[in-house]
Amino acid sequence: MPSSQSKPLGAIVLLLAALVGAAVAGYAYVTPLTGVNGSLGALVVIFACLALALMALILMPLKHRGGRIFWRLLALVGLIGTGFAGLLLHQWGIAAAMVLGLIGLILDLRRPTANRRVAHA
Amino acid sequence: MPTFGITPQRLGTATALALILAPMPLLAQDADSVQAPASQTQDAAQSQDSAQARAANQSQDTAQAQRADVPLVPTQPTWNTFHGQNNAQKYSPLDQINVDNVGQLEKVWEVHTGDVSDGTGDIPATVWSATPIFANDTLYIGTPFYRLLALDPATGEQKWSFDTHSKLEALTQPVLKNRGVAYWEAKDPEPGQACQKIVYMGTMDAQLFALDADTGKPCQDFADNGVLDVNQWNTTHAKWPLSILQPPTVVGDHLIFGWAGKDWAFETAPPGTVFSIDARTGKREWTFEALSPEMREKSGTANVWTQMSVDEANGLIYLPVSSPSPNYWGGNRTESAPLATSTTALDVDTGKVVWSRQWVHHDVWDYDINAAPTLMDITVDGKQIPALIQATKMGFLFVVNRLTGEDVWPIEERPVPQGDGSVKGEVYAKTQPFPTKPAPLLDQSKKPKIWELADMVGGGQCSRLWDDLYYEGMYTPPTTQGEGTLAYPDSAGGVQWGGVAFDPQSQTAIVNVSHIVQTIKLYDREAYEKADSGSGNESGFSPQEGAPYGMRLNVASNWLGMPCWEPPFGELVALDMHTGDVKWRRPVGASQQYGFFMPERWGSPTIGGPAVTAGGLIFIGASMDAKLRAYSLESGEELWSDQAQAPAVANPAVYEYKGREYVAFIAGGNTILKDQVGDQVVVYALPQDKQ
Repeated sequence: MPSSQSKPLGAIVLLLAALVGAAVAGYAYVTPLTGVNGSLGALVVIFACLALALMALILMPLKHRGGRIFWRLLALVGLIGTGFAGLLLHQWGIAAAMVLGLIGLILDLRRPTANRRVAHA
Repeated sequence: MPTFGITPQRLGTATALALILAPMPLLAQDADSVQAPASQTQDAAQSQDSAQARAANQSQDTAQAQRADVPLVPTQPTWNTFHGQNNAQKYSPLDQINVDNVGQLEKVWEVHTGDVSDGTGDIPATVWSATPIFANDTLYIGTPFYRLLALDPATGEQKWSFDTHSKLEALTQPVLKNRGVAYWEAKDPEPGQACQKIVYMGTMDAQLFALDADTGKPCQDFADNGVLDVNQWNTTHAKWPLSILQPPTVVGDHLIFGWAGKDWAFETAPPGTVFSIDARTGKREWTFEALSPEMREKSGTANVWTQMSVDEANGLIYLPVSSPSPNYWGGNRTESAPLATSTTALDVDTGKVVWSRQWVHHDVWDYDINAAPTLMDITVDGKQIPALIQATKMGFLFVVNRLTGEDVWPIEERPVPQGDGSVKGEVYAKTQPFPTKPAPLLDQSKKPKIWELADMVGGGQCSRLWDDLYYEGMYTPPTTQGEGTLAYPDSAGGVQWGGVAFDPQSQTAIVNVSHIVQTIKLYDREAYEKADSGSGNESGFSPQEGAPYGMRLNVASNWLGMPCWEPPFGELVALDMHTGDVKWRRPVGASQQYGFFMPERWGSPTIGGPAVTAGGLIFIGASMDAKLRAYSLESGEELWSDQAQAPAVANPAVYEYKGREYVAFIAGGNTILKDQVGDQVVVYALPQDKQ
């Protein structure tokens, strides 16, 4: 029976943060007078956030230690890069969302990794 | 050499003849009362000419007398020209909005004209460098689709609009372009008559429209039912229409205007005739040519494509004259052309040259004088001087006595580089004028330092480019070798058409300057055909068709578009005009690439210019980030900003209507700065309860 700690809370937070980031970037992209509407930068951030959301979805069920480390590292790079991009776009909401995503990633670190031997036993 | 139009020449001849011949018929009558019929006709004609000449002289005298009372700085808040006032000070005496409350500015209205294109469809991209003008209790605006709008200044509600139905084709520019409208009103209006107040707007296909300012209906007495075909005077090397993109300058009942063309495209081009016409009728009064008849045959342009300024009291109009054709090779024009790339002062009534100062001898860098000189009365060493300051693409500011053209601070002729010998046919100028004060707005004496960040990101691309660029200091001529000549600045840099603003109270001049490094490379004809054939304006390839060399002009950047030179990329500079010293300078705006804003300490290149107010404020858009800003005139501190749809690439307008002060910007964008276009007119004021 899974404990409360095994729930993918961190990944869920990361997913939410990524979706919020995508929404803010999308709004900035389509709304006049945001300073970045129609810009390549905003478009890239939308896709980066969607990629982060995908990573969160991948992380949620993932139990394999190596896989988790890989996706967490990738998410970390994505969060930092997207947050920095958000700052350069003057879209503080994106940066805030990425901080939230980082918190989610830290929470996800606390989720116990599945013990292969135990599982086999 | 200037040439004079038919009318003044005839008047001058008639006046001289009248003076000589006036007593003769009387004497003849005394001596012999019987004359041959032919002789009688001639005498009658002479007498009529004489009467006309006297009437014209009388009218001219009256106009001069009226003008003598016009102060340099209007006594009332005025913003009825491209540069606010004919003195080009871009100064408003309004102080309702000031340093203490500017932070509370709010957007009171905005209008999107719909006249915008990003160039991806059938219609060329739009470039909208207009300043709205406030006159007749109306805000008048011209659009890049060549429509003229009359808006309520308090609400933006449209009073009327007029569509010229001009073809939306890039006939002379790579884009559709408009710099706004001009306004004239009769000194003694006839009640009930139309067109006692007129707004004028030109088109790319060389039509000048005159519309009743109240109704927007064409003025029937003006030219051909309200439309003047300027292209009827396009008689030499007529390779393109004489595009009237800059609104005429209005002086009394004169409309004075130049035109724009594609001066980068051909060796021979239409010569840059400036026209003076009657504001009521469109009848041509005089013309001015900056080039001699011989030079006009071999070369061309040296036109005036930007705003002019006027000292009405002294009857002088100041022309910022551009370079002859082609832009980057002068082998076809090696003789002296002293009025090209100059500030030239003309008598407004006759077009006669009063004085002229050439700022670039034998210009092979496209250093068109691109802004109206700003007229100012300044006190230097306790002496009052009627001065003007001429901003330039080179980043030099030339200050001279506006009545005589003499230096206020010494302007020295200094030896300049003589090229590497790779370009045939050239005879470079041995010296060029350098102002001793104010100091150059940027240091062109040596190759600008490479920006390490851009070099690193580009994998050493900038270092390699620098090594392949030829530079021996300011005025290094173009070359065919390596990657060409480094130009700092060139046609996109220095000061653009926004020119210098001036606060007459503190005698502070304000100017925005761009730090841009460009590269110029000439290709012999065969090499050019292999290299490229894209059209160009401020960047890319230009054929200079007919000349032995085509050319390429590029901004020095890495693969990511990062500038190869160190920031700041643009600054706002305040000058104390008592001394010519810099009071303060600061980066202006923020650069933006792919939507990413760079730090404000790096500044931004700017196109457009400032306005200053008695509230101690500087308003400016002009930067890449499309933000509109207010700065303290005293300290340069940024006090307010707001986001616009696109860079505001002209000066803002400041006006008062029904007791409320407004600041208006047009956010239209310019492809020189970035590919971001807009159709926004946006107006700010203090909240009603804060005034």
